[in-house]
Amino acid sequence: MTAVATPSAALDKKDRNKRRPRTPAEWILLVLAILGAVIIVFPMLLLLLNAFKSPADYANSSPLDFPKALDFTGIKVFWETQNFPHALWNSVFISGMVAILAVVISVLNSFAIGIGRVKGRTWLVLVFLMANLVPQEMLFDPLFRLYDGLGLLSNPWSVIITFTVIQSAFGTYLLSSLLGTFPKEILEAAAVDGATRFRALRSIIVPVIRPTLSVLMVFFFIWTWNEFLLPLAFLNTNDSLTVPLLLEQLNGERQTDTTTLIAGTLISTIPTVIFFLIFQRTLTRGITAGAVK
Amino acid sequence: MKYRNQAFGALVAVGALTLAACSSSGSSDATTGAAADGDYSGQVLKVMHYEGEDSAMGIAWNRAIEIFEEETGATVDLQTTAFEDLNSSASQLFDSSDAPDVSEYNKGNGTAGQLAAIGVIQNLDDAYAEYGWADKLGAGVDTIAMYDENGVMGSGSFYGVPNYGEFVFLYYNQDLLDEYGMEVPTSMDDLEADMQTFVDNGITPLATSAQEYPMGQLWYQLALSQGDRQFVNDYQLYENPVNWQGPEISYATETISDWVSKGYISSDASGMTAEDAGLQFINGEVPFFYSGSWWYGRMLSDITSFNFGITNWPGTTLTPGSGGNIWVVPVESKQPELAAKFIDITMSPEVQALLGESGGLPVAADTADITSPDAQALIGLFNEVNDRDGLSFYPDWPTPTFYGDLNSVMQGLVNGQYTPADAESELQNYYESYVSTVQ
Repeated sequence: MTAVATPSAALDKKDRNKRRPRTPAEWILLVLAILGAVIIVFPMLLLLLNAFKSPADYANSSPLDFPKALDFTGIKVFWETQNFPHALWNSVFISGMVAILAVVISVLNSFAIGIGRVKGRTWLVLVFLMANLVPQEMLFDPLFRLYDGLGLLSNPWSVIITFTVIQSAFGTYLLSSLLGTFPKEILEAAAVDGATRFRALRSIIVPVIRPTLSVLMVFFFIWTWNEFLLPLAFLNTNDSLTVPLLLEQLNGERQTDTTTLIAGTLISTIPTVIFFLIFQRTLTRGITAGAVK
Repeated sequence: MKYRNQAFGALVAVGALTLAACSSSGSSDATTGAAADGDYSGQVLKVMHYEGEDSAMGIAWNRAIEIFEEETGATVDLQTTAFEDLNSSASQLFDSSDAPDVSEYNKGNGTAGQLAAIGVIQNLDDAYAEYGWADKLGAGVDTIAMYDENGVMGSGSFYGVPNYGEFVFLYYNQDLLDEYGMEVPTSMDDLEADMQTFVDNGITPLATSAQEYPMGQLWYQLALSQGDRQFVNDYQLYENPVNWQGPEISYATETISDWVSKGYISSDASGMTAEDAGLQFINGEVPFFYSGSWWYGRMLSDITSFNFGITNWPGTTLTPGSGGNIWVVPVESKQPELAAKFIDITMSPEVQALLGESGGLPVAADTADITSPDAQALIGLFNEVNDRDGLSFYPDWPTPTFYGDLNSVMQGLVNGQYTPADAESELQNYYESYVSTVQ
């Protein structure tokens, strides 16, 4: 259905006349888009509906009911018992460092592999990809012992180092194939003008692939933000927790204080929404970058 | 140009933060030295647990921390964590530089037993001898504190100290019983007659869940009501082979199947979680709910529209239940001596009474110290079980995977996939495939 609808909708858009009514295909697309948005917003709505219920209200009503009265117990308990600002800072610090470091390393690696065309580059890329392919459960114990020996447990740098390596492995893979197709002529022209290799990287390659680098950085940030297992292993003190770990702390052995958990989840989505609002242009620009040359 | 500046700025930031991080991690273990007798000022004890701030244990242990700091002059670095977190990381964490000096940990063969067997938690025999904890713990409660060299509980050395107990009993809706003119059931015949009356009036009488622990515990309770202590020892401690077609288990399986067909248990139970079943009771939809003392505080606070009561399961001397989670001292603890002192304070009458007063089940409290009627009702019921030496642990303890196995068989029994005989032989397969490896 959509496959048929898409080209005709694109066609319509060109000579769109404001008075002309929407075609059936457009209507179908519109309905599908609304449905998609509803499905995506639904969990957020559930959070909003239930975060403001008192525990008794929550127990006595269905999750889809409106709260009987606005109740801030969940939010208050979450705010008072958990050090959310600190966890937020930890998450931002870790994810931000990983995003920056991993992109820098990816660019340097892929410069060697993609532009420098070192010997055995296919195998090199494959080796890099291994870092992504190895299940994290396998890394759990050896890395734990390594950081224990280095005295880095409960230190954000244990997580930053680990994920800089893992994310830059993916970045190297992606950028290497991108730089493999980088027009030689531009580089040759630069060399004729007397640019050193580093100058070529800094002043020519990086500006050209900047949209891709921005997207990569945003993705690294989000992926690292959502990481759970390895941070769980490495960060064991209350003041080193990240946001996902903090939320996990609210789960009890046999029972969970559901309203507090919901309130905490709601609060923890706010920074993510802000982050998205700031970077949404980068994201959409980066996704379409390279589509048209 | 703009980009260059950004990149440079980022690198400077990274460098600065690296230095900051290094300097903060350098000076953390200055407290390792041995202390002079009695004076521990300047020392730090790192305590870890996963009880909520407002839970009975959280309240009591906060008091214990105050007393400890007063008595020893040391300070406590309290780290709270989550049950699941510690479960997945303890075997590494307790053997690392990040290890707490004393920690709460999950009791049982698969958890504390395993850690004891691989030597990640310390043997506490000497501390037990010094502080006399063994005299404070009743039989049945102390089973979960002892583990042998294979990590099987009930014998061997002490590795943990339980602070509280827990057990499983019947919650009932007093208003619904009154409405149909019933008394609190004191025998199985009463209970079945009551349930029949509710079914006749279109009410499902018993809330339970086969997706999680409640139905497995009900099944075990039914088996226990026909068994004696030797049955428990055989089932839990592998003393003799369990007869899966014997009177205890066949009674349990057949009764469940019978109750499902009579409508005492809704066939929806196979898809319900413990939370769903508990909510049915809290909402006043069902008159009976068979589950544990861990629900009690929640029932007191969340049930507003009717009166509820608690009673032990009718006609049984054995009851599912055990000591609660235990204090353990990790092998990498820097302060084992202070850890033992701290544990001793949590066992003191004052802290134990506070634990009971706050809705928990103290293991070493003087009942005279407890004044709240709600707390007295629960502790009274628990004492009744202990007086008949009734604590019989939980059905899923014998094997590491029996929790899931039992739930899936219970689900099969409820939705008619298994006959009682099928269910028994399924359970037997699961149980024996593990137990044959330890015997």
